[in-house]
Amino acid sequence: MAPKTRAQTRLKAETKATASTAFTVPVDSWFQFLENQSAQEIALPVSLLFAILVRWCISLHGYSGMGNPPMFGDYEAQRHWMEITTHLPPSKWYSYDLKYWGLDYPPLTAFQSWACGYIASLINPAWVALGRSRGIETHASKLFMRATVLALDLAIYVPAVVLFFRLKLVSVSWAARQASIFTVLLQPCLLLIDHGHFQYNSVMLGFLMWAVYFAAREHYVAMAIAFCCALMFKQMALYYAPTIFFFLLAKCFQRRHGFVLFVKLGLAVIATFSVMLLPWIQSRSQLEQILVRVFPVARGLYEDKVANVWCAVNVAVKLRSIFETKYLLRLATAATSLAFAPSCIHLFIVVRRYAGKQPAETRANVLRLLNYSLVNSSLAFFLFSFQVHEKSILLPLAPALLLINDESWAVNWFVQVALFSMYPLLFKDGLNVPYAVLAVGWSVLRSCPVCPADRQTPRIVFVLQWLTTLAMVALHAAHAFVLPPKALPDIYIVLNVIFSCMMFVMFLVYFNYRQFTLLSRSSKEKAQLGKQKSE
Amino acid sequence: MLSANDLLLVGVGLGVKLLLMPAYHSTDFEVHRNWLALTHSLPMRLWYYEARSEWTLDYPPFFAWFEWALSQAARLWDARIVDVNNLGYAAPSCVTFQRLTVIGSELVLLWALWRAVRLAGGSVSARTAAVLGFLSPGLVFVDHVHFQYNGFLLGLLVLSLTLAMEGRDLLSGVVFAVLLCFKHIFMYIAPAYFVYLLRHYCVVYRPRRRLDVGASAARLLALAMAVVLVFGVVLGPFVALGQGPQLLARLFPFKRGLCHAYWAPNAWALYSLADRVLVVIARLRGTHYAASAAAAATRGLIGDSVFAVLPAVPPLATFVATLAAQLPAIALLVLRPCSPVRFVQAVVLCAYASFLFGWHVHEKAVLLILVPLGLLLVAGPTRRALRMFAVAAVSGYYSLLPLLFGVQELPIKATVLLIWVLCALVLLKSTGSGTSAWQCLSALERAYIVGHVPLFVLTEITPASLFARLPFLPLAMVSTYTALGLVYSWAGLIFEYLC
Repeated sequence: MAPKTRAQTRLKAETKATASTAFTVPVDSWFQFLENQSAQEIALPVSLLFAILVRWCISLHGYSGMGNPPMFGDYEAQRHWMEITTHLPPSKWYSYDLKYWGLDYPPLTAFQSWACGYIASLINPAWVALGRSRGIETHASKLFMRATVLALDLAIYVPAVVLFFRLKLVSVSWAARQASIFTVLLQPCLLLIDHGHFQYNSVMLGFLMWAVYFAAREHYVAMAIAFCCALMFKQMALYYAPTIFFFLLAKCFQRRHGFVLFVKLGLAVIATFSVMLLPWIQSRSQLEQILVRVFPVARGLYEDKVANVWCAVNVAVKLRSIFETKYLLRLATAATSLAFAPSCIHLFIVVRRYAGKQPAETRANVLRLLNYSLVNSSLAFFLFSFQVHEKSILLPLAPALLLINDESWAVNWFVQVALFSMYPLLFKDGLNVPYAVLAVGWSVLRSCPVCPADRQTPRIVFVLQWLTTLAMVALHAAHAFVLPPKALPDIYIVLNVIFSCMMFVMFLVYFNYRQFTLLSRSSKEKAQLGKQKSE
Repeated sequence: MLSANDLLLVGVGLGVKLLLMPAYHSTDFEVHRNWLALTHSLPMRLWYYEARSEWTLDYPPFFAWFEWALSQAARLWDARIVDVNNLGYAAPSCVTFQRLTVIGSELVLLWALWRAVRLAGGSVSARTAAVLGFLSPGLVFVDHVHFQYNGFLLGLLVLSLTLAMEGRDLLSGVVFAVLLCFKHIFMYIAPAYFVYLLRHYCVVYRPRRRLDVGASAARLLALAMAVVLVFGVVLGPFVALGQGPQLLARLFPFKRGLCHAYWAPNAWALYSLADRVLVVIARLRGTHYAASAAAAATRGLIGDSVFAVLPAVPPLATFVATLAAQLPAIALLVLRPCSPVRFVQAVVLCAYASFLFGWHVHEKAVLLILVPLGLLLVAGPTRRALRMFAVAAVSGYYSLLPLLFGVQELPIKATVLLIWVLCALVLLKSTGSGTSAWQCLSALERAYIVGHVPLFVLTEITPASLFARLPFLPLAMVSTYTALGLVYSWAGLIFEYLC
């Protein structure tokens, strides 16, 4: 198809989309309003400014371990790493006083801590003074820490999201596209964890989104480098690794110059890793120390309550007291592999099939497959792998949000449940108010229970979503007003875990189903479209 | 009448206001907490004598009763809030409670604007103007961060003005009398009310423009009775207790200086600037000037406003200047055919005059201009009115930024103001041609509006150490620059309304 005619058909499809789904989710109505007022030029600036405003407003509230000596929480951990990286040589970063928040993320996090610590020491050295700054919680130091999260979020996550949704691979209306940007930028789970609880997940997830963006632009070497950065920032990016691996492998097989790509990718990965590990590369023992710190197998199957299969099963079967850690690790690894394998193999087979230059439609489908597979792989890891934290649900959420135009109701529901699953953590951090505001905000702006106008939603889903929403509200109400029985002090958390885990398993099945049926769905739609045209 | 989209925007605004609860709050927070405590714990006869806290009750009695009503809920929420000896209490539960009272009482404004939209026929432009008026950055800064109840009080004002536009003059007058008993600063616009109600309500004509004396007298009597009744109910008990002089002393403390700690962007700010300029000239030419006054001013001690070259300004002079500046507003009502829209315009001009020339004007008083001006947009603005609104709103809201001086509030004030200004400039349309506010603006006005960006960089982001030798300079730049815009749009509005 010639480029011009392709553009024309896309235009047609866009106007069609506007006409048929005039009102999908409430947040769209704001952008439709801007369109009607011919004020499109302010849509993106206003979304970005609003995203900054909400992030900063959340950061006014509590954080992990606030005013809670001697260990404090994740906030103090991040600050402590700034302290040790600015004052100690890299050889000591992974071995210095490990009992007090020893560094347990890969080198890119260490470099980020070093850079932030360096800036901190320019403004006020007391914030990162070695030893003496432990537990420092002054107003100014808190502002600085919050500002570093915001700056990195704006530098990495935000541009990736904006660029991804401005790719015109999928034919959706202007308003829906803008609404997607707005929604993904204001995804409540990430905002509450990064700007409330205090972490830098948006950097890792931002790198993943850059990887997906480069995949869409067919810059595979850049994609590999972006993914390596994600991996070197937080080892949790491994949840995506099977998908990225099989995707790139398939690309190597499908092309005429596949082998060249293979070599390039290999070199890029090796180079990225080498650069990141440069300070430690001469010493085998130091590299091993990093590995031990980054993969703390000894910490057991899971620590806190987390909505994954092992923790949920634990209610009935105490796996941790029956089996040794060694066997549990094997069990978890086997289960995880079984869970992500179908999705990755399917991705490999389908992507390999498309050789050479492809029409836009196929390229869009390949990108969708990549995103589906990223969701499936990371969700499999979340549910079945070893040492999972409740915050790791952010990993499946990120690629799922990139599918928001295809999976409107499923993604909305997924975010709702994921946010709910993090409630015990956020409650502990004193983030009740932002949690409530964002949960209600998401449900009203985005979710379907309040929006029966969404015609794509099957009736059964609509009813189910209402029921689960009611269940979540009921659990919150019980938690707020009814004291748990003495014999079961954790009853609300356990109920939360069981409920969320069941939902996540359902989402895993659903997203796998959607991945496997994507191509048949898309050809059916195409046939329908052709039929309409001929009529 | 408000569409789903409007409600969504209001809801989003509500979310932001809730998230802002832990942000900085000024001493006004403790002022209102103390009033909650003293109205709850003390008998009414002691309200205006209580002085354990330095923040004594200095609002009229209706506001005290308002606090008393809130204190009933406060006691159930957290009894320590209403302990009159618990000075400076600001625990999270107390902050949440007081913030919620601001958010809740502000709904009066929403209701009043909703009535105005209904009156205007519920067009898109009316609804947009109403939503932008309700989500005013000024209210976010002053009420939801700094802490005050302007949304509630201005809501009563808008309600009164809307009632007048609906043709219910007597009710409008009563609501205004009630408002005066909440906060007496609204006396500044009383002249417009007085003239309008007299001319539009009390004077009744028979056919062929002959005065109907009987009907007019009856209406005058009704209005007078209503107003006297309101004031009697509010002030009566205190006067009966012999507290009249004490009440007056509390409500009108004439000991404060000409300019507030930070100069409100009004005529006196420009006057002070002129004084500074003259000092420099005097230094260069070697003529005499009051050196001590100049030194005090350079150090930034502007609480007392001493001038080195220009003559000092006594309260009486500001009073006369204010009355003189209100003449155009009165002329508007007297010389022109009297209509409700004219009346709102006169209210705007009255508020403007007192803001520009009044004694010890707070920068927050700019809301008294901008909110009624926003109400006129609901009714449908001409091109020039829209231009003047844009200039006044940008400079007026910008002038509130120094109120939130902390670094923590920097991103909040920048984003809130920018979002609002972007939306207002593009979404507000003039009636008829339907051009947006930005399209209506002249090149100079556009340059002036965009000029706030470098001003922000210079006064908010540039480290204060750069101004170590001239500590007053950042604030002086803000008040001067914004005063230019406010004076310009005042002149423009007078031209628009009178010519």
